[in-house]
Amino acid sequence: MSDATTHDKRFDDRVDLDTRLSGSETLRIVGRSLQFIGRVKVFFIIKILFALVSVLPPLLVPWILKIIVDHVILQQPIDILNANLPSFFIPLLGLLEGLTPSEIMFAITSFMLVTLTIFGLRAAPAEQAEAWGMPIGYDAATQSEQALSAGGSKANGIWGLIELSLTIRMTQRLANDLRMQLMERLTRLEMTTLDDQRIGDSVYRVMYDSPMLPGICYRLTIEPLLLILGTVLNIYLMQSTYGDFIPELLKLAVFLVFLILFITIPLTGLARRLHQTNRAAGASTTNTMEESIENISAVQSLGGSEKEAQRFSDASEESYRRHRHTALFDALISMVNYICIFGSMAIAFVLISNSVIEDELTVGDYSALISMFFMLSSAAGGLGLYLVEVQKNIAAVRRVFFFIDYTSEYNDDARRMGRIQKGVKIRNVDFSYPDGRVALKNINLDLPIGKVIAIVGPTGAGKTSLAYLLPGYLRPSSGDIWFDEYKLSDRSVKDIREQVTYVFQEHMLLSDTIKENLLLARPNATSEEIDFACRISCADEFIANLPDGIDTGLGKAGNTISVGQKQRISIARGILRDTPIVILDEPTAALDPKTENKLMAGLKQVADKKLFIIIAHRLSTVKAADQIIFIEDGKISDVGSHDELMSKKTGRYRQFVNLQND
Amino acid sequence: MTSTDDSRPVTLSEVWSYLKRCWPFYRPQIKHLLAFISLTIFSGVLVLGSMVLVEDLVYNKLLQGEKLQSLQASMFFLNDSFVSNGGENEELLSLSERDTLRDRMIIGGGFWVIIVYGSIVFGTYYMIWIFQRVNQQLRVEMLSRAEHLSLRYHSSSRTGDLIYRVYQDSATITNVLQWCVMTPLRVVGWIFFASLVLLFFSPWFGLIIFVISILMFLVSKKFVPIIREKARLSRELNSALTSRIQENLAASRVVKANSAEEEMMRRFSHDSKHALNAAFEMRLYISIYLLISLLLSIGGFIVAEYFMATWSIIEKSTYLGGVVAFVGFAAWNLGAFRAASAQGEELAAQVWEASYLISIVQDLVMGLRRAFYILDIEPEIKEKVNPKVFPKTIQKVSFESVAFSYEKDHSVLTDINLEAKLGTITAIVGGTGSGKSTLLSLLLRLYDPDRGTVLINGTDIKDFSTSDLRSNVSIALQQNILFAKSVKENIAYGIESTTEAEIIDASKIACADDFINDMPLNYETELGERGGKLSTGQRQRLSIARALLKNTPILILDEPTASLDAETEKRVMSNIAKWGRNRIIFIITHRLSTIKSADRIAVLDSGEIKEFGSHQDLMTLKGDYAEFVKSETGDE
Repeated sequence: MSDATTHDKRFDDRVDLDTRLSGSETLRIVGRSLQFIGRVKVFFIIKILFALVSVLPPLLVPWILKIIVDHVILQQPIDILNANLPSFFIPLLGLLEGLTPSEIMFAITSFMLVTLTIFGLRAAPAEQAEAWGMPIGYDAATQSEQALSAGGSKANGIWGLIELSLTIRMTQRLANDLRMQLMERLTRLEMTTLDDQRIGDSVYRVMYDSPMLPGICYRLTIEPLLLILGTVLNIYLMQSTYGDFIPELLKLAVFLVFLILFITIPLTGLARRLHQTNRAAGASTTNTMEESIENISAVQSLGGSEKEAQRFSDASEESYRRHRHTALFDALISMVNYICIFGSMAIAFVLISNSVIEDELTVGDYSALISMFFMLSSAAGGLGLYLVEVQKNIAAVRRVFFFIDYTSEYNDDARRMGRIQKGVKIRNVDFSYPDGRVALKNINLDLPIGKVIAIVGPTGAGKTSLAYLLPGYLRPSSGDIWFDEYKLSDRSVKDIREQVTYVFQEHMLLSDTIKENLLLARPNATSEEIDFACRISCADEFIANLPDGIDTGLGKAGNTISVGQKQRISIARGILRDTPIVILDEPTAALDPKTENKLMAGLKQVADKKLFIIIAHRLSTVKAADQIIFIEDGKISDVGSHDELMSKKTGRYRQFVNLQND
Repeated sequence: MTSTDDSRPVTLSEVWSYLKRCWPFYRPQIKHLLAFISLTIFSGVLVLGSMVLVEDLVYNKLLQGEKLQSLQASMFFLNDSFVSNGGENEELLSLSERDTLRDRMIIGGGFWVIIVYGSIVFGTYYMIWIFQRVNQQLRVEMLSRAEHLSLRYHSSSRTGDLIYRVYQDSATITNVLQWCVMTPLRVVGWIFFASLVLLFFSPWFGLIIFVISILMFLVSKKFVPIIREKARLSRELNSALTSRIQENLAASRVVKANSAEEEMMRRFSHDSKHALNAAFEMRLYISIYLLISLLLSIGGFIVAEYFMATWSIIEKSTYLGGVVAFVGFAAWNLGAFRAASAQGEELAAQVWEASYLISIVQDLVMGLRRAFYILDIEPEIKEKVNPKVFPKTIQKVSFESVAFSYEKDHSVLTDINLEAKLGTITAIVGGTGSGKSTLLSLLLRLYDPDRGTVLINGTDIKDFSTSDLRSNVSIALQQNILFAKSVKENIAYGIESTTEAEIIDASKIACADDFINDMPLNYETELGERGGKLSTGQRQRLSIARALLKNTPILILDEPTASLDAETEKRVMSNIAKWGRNRIIFIITHRLSTIKSADRIAVLDSGEIKEFGSHQDLMTLKGDYAEFVKSETGDE
């Protein structure tokens, strides 16, 4: 793990630390990626059919041109028996037999116009189409964005258009399926993981790592298939035209395939590592940008603008450098590739030229054979390159699978407890953090529905830890919690959270309209319900005064509405959700006394069917509660109403109150 | 933030203006670019030259045994017996000589591969390095501009949008050289040359070219606006998706608290689908446009080829071919057919390439618009050219008739007059949303007032540089924003140089030292994302420590004690009062106990300071403040 701790600092990863991939893990990732093809089965089969057909038309072109030259311009009569053409072409030639040169030209022209429309015959190969769309840059992020909608076709014309559209759609489907899976898991990370997982890093994984999945699906299936098919076809054409060529050449080509695999396979591990760090560096750049822009008000008011810009510049520089490392590696690999190809070409050159010098072959045969061998050896080299290139995709997809597999708090359980009626029972609950700090000791409480309960105590006493137990953000180290007769440890998180709404002290709002923010809690709420929730939380007045009312958009720095206003929107959202238990963490901290009183009165008004748990320091807020729980050093030291607790002369609560009234 | 005029057509003059704007980013790399271009030309010449050489050596010399030219022989270090003397019936090379020649060719070929492929492969690496540097400069300039833009910009823009602009949109600058300079020159050059050659063969080709040009123009007129619009949409929707992801993840806790996972996934899925559709549609329309262009250009060429072939059959004479040297065919024959056909094919390919170019440039310019948009935002907070130096000792801070609004017709502050003297603590009190935080953010120049001035020692704060001002005013924010760094780095955030002892002192004043020492690695403990892992009260004290450490003459505390218990609050406030004897401190608070520790209290209501004075003064006034105190203490 010493390696992992260094990663920690360099690319501020704190969750995904061990990024090394062994050979078997790599194979597992590949296998898992290929399973995604099952989701696009139909697309995939059609794509293969289209692609197979696209290979054929270009093969016709040289022979058509030959007919134009021989039989139109040079006006040689067509002699089917002695035609030096591939066998599949003979029947087509038969159709032209007996026609005058002009008629042949007319027929060929018509044929070419038709095949141009359908297959784009005689057009430049449409492989350029792979890069259609966004002009990309020299970093992993922009190249991934392009990979998200990649598609291509060896054909052009209508056929190519259909194949291209089909492929783009298939690519998008594959990438989006993975993206959705990842996003789903990321939203369900455990509370403790959320503290460690950087938001920018997650953004990078969703946006730029997921789109690399389709690459694995194609590079290991369709692409080699087409490469091999093209090679076999070419060998067949050569053979049917020029007869047997030197058998050593074929052996040489096969040897070359193994040689290249032998050299590249050991290097794939290095390739993966380089791509891992490339992506980690990109994610770290995203972290820097995300953190500083999201917290821009803090950055500016603390005078950190220059420093943040510098931090970004360094991170970005580093990510470019890491990307160059992968480029350098690719360059070296292709260099090695070229050298292997050249070496085998040299041997082929000796073999073929010897045959020519010894008069076994003609000069024309030399030219045909050497170009055919060049084609064969390039194909062999191509296989090696696929193997290296796909490592980039594997490295990226590993980063996605990592979080898909990461412990998440979600375990779907079909059982539903139904809206609870009585309340919460806490028995003998202890809680300590993973690092051993004890937060709660021997907690016993009964919290009935229909009450407003305040949790009070010094900072760091364990108030929030206690409240976190109810929605299952934390689980007790020992002891039990019941909602009515249901024991929480037996229930799924989803089931528990149906009952509890937590309104955080940090009023987190989305940069959306106020209405969208409210609807998050309950997508199908009516406008009456929304109005009601806003009224209870005292948000109605200021919302009415906003230029667009409830449809006013909230910015990310959100400075156009005050902290107290944001707080009330958060409370309205909590009330709108309408769960039997609502926990409000410091709901009145930023409110003036008038609003505070109104809010507390409002809560009491709806409290008959709900349990409100309020964490507060403010005396006026606390006083308004039905019951007060005073907690200190993780232990409950006082429980009762304000008056009851004030009557205890030595009670901690009384001291607490007196301190505030000084 | 979407700027609606992004949908305006792309004109040549706009492309030209972007070329000029991109120049400063390319200029620092010009030496490298020239070196790279030389390298490319070098390897290109080497490839072309060696191809001619190899053809001759293989076919004529090695395979047929002809003797070499002396230059060829010396290139391969072969002796004179290999060299042709130019005689008519020369001897052929012997078999062993041919073997030697072949061996030398293979060795030479080895060097050739290393030099040529080496320069191609490392040239590619070099090119990546150059363009990355171009892009890096733009990225950094965009981000540092964004860091300095006023909060008014930031509150209406999304974080994901900036991420998209800095990554995706800025990357288009690396394509400018290729798609706005090199390719257009090549395409236009070729089209012109090939058309000219064809015209010399027959004026009829001119007609074909003319008809196709008209058709192409009409097709382009139809398609280009659609492609442009789709490109814009694709960029905007993908940028919105980035924002959506970022916001979803930043709001993880709220999502959990409301069990809103499904709703969030629904919104995400919706945005993702739209973004993918836009990306697809853009590519689809480009493909359709290119297909039509292909059918027109190659179709035209095939038709032209038909005429060429039929004219060759009858050996029709060419138009001007015979008189023009570089065409050189007086009548149609196989050679003329081949030459004309090659030009026709090239012309068609170039026309197709031109439409490809036009499509790409649409998207490219959309990207450039969105990237340069950030650089073009006029900063609201303008820096003085010759700023005054912030005074060594300060006497007072004053607000004179200050008015401010976030949006027109919706004023927050209408007429603020307030003065704070050295050695005083001023509490700002008022209802939520009354503009307390806004008022003090004016002192940091996070915004500039619409009217009136904020003065320090009687000097308008606009006369100082913002960095000077901000390093002399520190603030503990209401939303205790921390960064995912160590405790120490968080406290020392924004401070150039500081010592460990100073950090610990500040923490002690803020009553943070105790709990920091309880943490696993004390001051070196890493805080979680957005300072998670700490309770709000702890975060609050770190924010205070951070503000204190800056050791500035002016300190702003925005609700510093809202999450502290009464005891801690008392300790913090009395420490601060001691610490602040020679400073000016502003405190925004609702807490009565905190208010009481202030020397002066300003009650803010409806954008004005309604009451001002000490606690006693205001209590005797029996105004809003007295009312507030009554409701806070209740009947006790």
